[in-house]
Parts: sequence; structure tokens; C-alpha cells
Amino acid sequence: MPQKVLYWKGCMSRFRTRSIADSIERLLNLLNVDYTTLGEDEGCCGSVLYRTGQTADALLVSKRTLERLSSLGVKEVVTGCPGCFRTMSLDYANFFRNVPFKVRHISQFLFDMRDELRDHLRPMKAKVVYHDPCHLGRHMGVYEEPRALIKMIPEVDLLEFKYNRNKALCCGSGGGVRSAFPEVSLEVAKSTLLELPEGTEIVVTACPFCKYNFVEGNNKKVEVIDLPELILRACGG
Amino acid sequence: MSDEWFSSKKEEFMRWLYDENRRRGLSRAVSSYTAARDYALSCLPHLEKTRKEVRKIKESAVEQMDELRKIASERITESHGNAYFARDADEARKIFLELVGNGKTVVKSKSLVTEEIHLNEALQRNGNRVFETDLGEFIIQIRGEKPTHIINPSVHVPKEEVAETFSKLVGREVKPDIPELVGVAREYLRDKFCKADVGITGANVVAASTGTLFIIENEGNARFVSNAPPVHICITGIEKIVPTLEDAFKVVQVLPPYATGILMSAYVSMITSPSRTADIEKTLVYGAHGPKELHVIFLDNGRSRMLRDPIMKEALYCLRCGGCMYECPVYRVLGGSFGHNYFGGIGIIWSAFTAGEEKVAAAIDACTKCGRCKEVCPLEIDVPKMIECLKSRLVEKGYLADKHRIIKENIMKRGNPFGE
Repeated sequence: MPQKVLYWKGCMSRFRTRSIADSIERLLNLLNVDYTTLGEDEGCCGSVLYRTGQTADALLVSKRTLERLSSLGVKEVVTGCPGCFRTMSLDYANFFRNVPFKVRHISQFLFDMRDELRDHLRPMKAKVVYHDPCHLGRHMGVYEEPRALIKMIPEVDLLEFKYNRNKALCCGSGGGVRSAFPEVSLEVAKSTLLELPEGTEIVVTACPFCKYNFVEGNNKKVEVIDLPELILRACGG
Repeated sequence: MSDEWFSSKKEEFMRWLYDENRRRGLSRAVSSYTAARDYALSCLPHLEKTRKEVRKIKESAVEQMDELRKIASERITESHGNAYFARDADEARKIFLELVGNGKTVVKSKSLVTEEIHLNEALQRNGNRVFETDLGEFIIQIRGEKPTHIINPSVHVPKEEVAETFSKLVGREVKPDIPELVGVAREYLRDKFCKADVGITGANVVAASTGTLFIIENEGNARFVSNAPPVHICITGIEKIVPTLEDAFKVVQVLPPYATGILMSAYVSMITSPSRTADIEKTLVYGAHGPKELHVIFLDNGRSRMLRDPIMKEALYCLRCGGCMYECPVYRVLGGSFGHNYFGGIGIIWSAFTAGEEKVAAAIDACTKCGRCKEVCPLEIDVPKMIECLKSRLVEKGYLADKHRIIKENIMKRGNPFGE
């Protein structure tokens, strides 16, 4: 498998937001990307363990995953989950020597394939706002690729939250808050959605955790979708 | 371990989450703060440079905290003041009780450090009457509540409730009209300042080379408190000391816009010695129009421990502007329940060192580690990094939420957190 890209789905997209994983696979096929997945055996990157302070267990799990991917000869990982993205790039590099693969978020991967992607995009008349996921934006510095992709869709009107990029508000589900205090998590999602710019029809995020929480906290009549879902729709999918 | 540590915090969270009045008060404060702060920063473009200089000043000052404390204490003593060092809250309270005694009337301006050492309770137990004079502190003192924001302690109380509280206090109906409410407090507190035996303040920054205390405020109450009574006692954390007046002035420029969204606070008091005069025959006499006595207590209470902790020492740079709290997506919904004696992400770290890690074991699980606090902090303090580190230490001590334990077991058994 050395030349192939590994599409790492992440636990949320495997079990809770499957439409994100489906959209990513359809986009990869559309763009003729030679990729593979680990299917049912994907396992865990360790992110939720790191974020909930279970560091010893996180190290154990992530070391196992790193060794497994290394022995499979993986050179390149693409993921739609900013939690996995951050953990497999920053935490792995921080805790282990010799990480033999590079990791890109799907927004970076699609942006790098923008020339191939452009031909597939059809006009879509919609006012969308992009929400910066914390793990993707503040923690990994990826702000512009998702916006550039959205702007590539003809006739889409990209709006901005008053506080965006490094000042973006949080969806409320990170850091284990959703599992420890679901009520708090939901109220944070609602309060962030109160700041939607006027006229927003679609909230686009680029993280399965954000999508999941915003769908639950959605007290306005807007649609909440993930970036690959939006792109696929623009491709007529 | 029983899960009381978790369930009691959860109950407190729920009380905040579904209390519409508190949420209304908070959300009004958040929107007026952010608008004012953005405007103030747009008027002061040079502050970008100043706040970076302040970061450097703090980085080097905290490394020499002990030395600076000794220099400041010497200068204060030379200027006829008295300087003390309290290793912990207990020592600080003892110094206060000795200085104040009993049966006295005490006026206070807002001080987080006095909250940290539970000073009011100690003074009152000793038979003293204590009046908070900062409007926000005054409101929560008469309501018998705890502060919920470090700069604006009554941020959670909407005007309608303030009106009810004041109506009871003065025995007549007071309307929920904000200027009228301020007037009631002014009238009630006016004579307390002049009749008080002791005035107690904190300090926002201290210049070691001259022993000068800086007290920054808008209401004018701290001026009264530090000036009208015959005795002024100031207590401040040892991390507040910077080497020189020049350094202190830089801190003074950064605080107001970030703390309250104003270009500069209405009043900055610089206090270096007790009040004095030599106008009659050049003979020096202490206690002219201001206090005859000045006492300055420098408090450690966990700060040196923080300094020795390579991850956590960054928390000592905190100027206590409180800007990160208004900006915290979780504080916006949980208010004063998100923390312990200090609030928000940085407050969780401060509470852990000054009150005990176990006090924030559950609150820390409400932090999404989103990192917004670091982005809005004038000193760019890496709070999420400290939070993750503290959480990890707490888990080692057994403070692991049931849900998080189940997630771990699922990952270990089935390779995913859902156990599916």
C-alpha cells in the first residue's frame, strides 16, 4: 500500500456522522484518488484520551496506532476530523520519534487538488457561514483552505461570523465536555449559534464534533453541514 | 472515590445554566464589554507593542519574585510604611487581625486576594464591621453571594434584582434604573469612608525600586478607602511586583482597555508612603490628610510553587484583566460556577494553586480547551496547555469523570469511544 493515501475516518465519522465519511469517500473517488481505509480495524488515534487527561492511556493507544500505520507502510494520512489531525500531527510528533507519515486535513487535501476539483463544481445559490473548528483553526492554524474551497463554488455567498478565524467561538463539544457535561456543551452550541450573521442559510463546519453539536443545538432554521458534504453537493452528489 | 466532587459541581452548573436572570445579566455584560474593548483597542494601536513588552517584563519579574519582594519591602519600610510577608492565607489573616483588632469599622475596595484568603469572614468573626465599597462587591455583599467575575463581581445580577436588593437595604422602593441604583450606593456608603478605622485595598502592580503601589479603578472608592481612614492596609500577591516605575506604567496602560474596554481608568493611585507633611518648621509629621499608617502585605500562598512548576509558571504573568472570561464560550453560559475562587480557564489554574487542585477537579471538565482565551489574552498566556496538564495530574490522583472512564474502557476494548 506504500503509494496509497490512507483516509483515516475517525471515530465520530465512523459511528455518529457517517455522512461526512461517505462524502469524503465519494469526493476521493470523484477525484480519482488512489486511497484506502482501515475499515472496521481503524482503531483510535488517542485524541479523546489526551484531551480528557488520560495521558498514560493516550500514549499507549497512540503508540499502538502509530506502530500499526508504520508497519503498513503508510506515508500519507488524510482525515476529516480535526481532533485526529491535531493528535496525529502534533501529539505524535511531540511524544514519539520517527512519525513516518504526513497528515493533512481534508480541507488541505482538497485545496491542494483544487485544479482537479474546480471542473466538478456547479453553481449553488446559498448564503453560507463558515465556523472555524478549534482543533483545525486555533490549534493547527488552518483557516484559509476551507474558505478558499467554499469560495470556489460558483454563486455561493460566504458570510463570516463577527468573531472568526483565531477569534472564533467554540461549538462546545471539545475537550470531553460533551461527555462530562452534555447540558453545558449544548448551551455553548446554542449561544454560539446566536451569533449567526443575518441571512445565513447554511452553517458549514469542518469537524464532525462541531457538526454533531450544532445539529443538536440548532434552534434556528438553518442547515448545518460539514465542508466535504457541501463540496460534494456542489459537485452534484 | 465517591463522585461527590463531580456531582456537586454539576448541580452548581445546572443552577447557573438554567437561571435566566443570571444568563441575561451575563450576556448584557459580554456584549457591552466586547464592543467597548474593540473600540478601545482600535484607538490605541501602540498597545500591541506595549502588551508584548509587558509580557517580557513579567517573564523576567516572576523569575526574581523573591528578590523584588525584598527590595519593595525595604523601600516601603524606608518610607515609613510597614511591609510584611505572608507565606499562606493563614499567615495573612493573622497579620490582618493583629493590625485591625476588633470592634473596628473597615472599608474595602475590591481585592481578589482578600477573597482568596477569606479575609472578610475572619474580620467579621473578630467583631469588625466590613463594608465593600466597589459597587459590584457591595451588591453581592448585601446579597450574601460570592463574586462571579474578577473585574465585575456582580456581573450576573441584572438591574431588576439590584433594585430589589437595594429596596430592602434602604427601606424604600428603588426603581431598576441604573443611575438611580448607583446613587443609592453612593449615598449609603458616603459616611462609611470617613468614619472607618481601617481601609483595605489590593494593588494592581507594585514597582519594587520605589516601593510604589498602583491601584487602578474607575469608581473613586479605592481613593477614599486608601485615603480617608487613618490606617491603610494593602495586600497583594508577590507576582504583582515589577522592577521599576517604568515597568509598572506599561502594565497600567494595558490593564484598562482589556479589563473594562476603556482607554484609561478614571483613577490610578500611586502610593509610596503614609501621608506626611513638613510644612511647619520642616519637621516631618505622618498623617496629614491621608493615613498615618501604611501596611503592605505581600502574599505567597502557592505563587512560589507555581514558579517552580515549568508548565504552570506562565499563570503568574496574568494581570487579572478578566478579559478572557467574557470571551470564554463556557464562562458565557456558566458564569461564576466555572472555576472556584478565580474563574474561567486561567482561574482554574489559580484556584488549583491557591485553594487546592481538588476544588477544580470537576470544573476543569467543562473547559473545551478551545484556546480562545489564549488568543484574546494581552499576554498570550497558554491557558489550554496548562489546563491539559492539570487535568492529567488530576486524573492520576483519581479525579476521572465516570463518562470519561467508560470512554477509555471502550477504546481499550473496542478501539472506539462508543464501544460499538
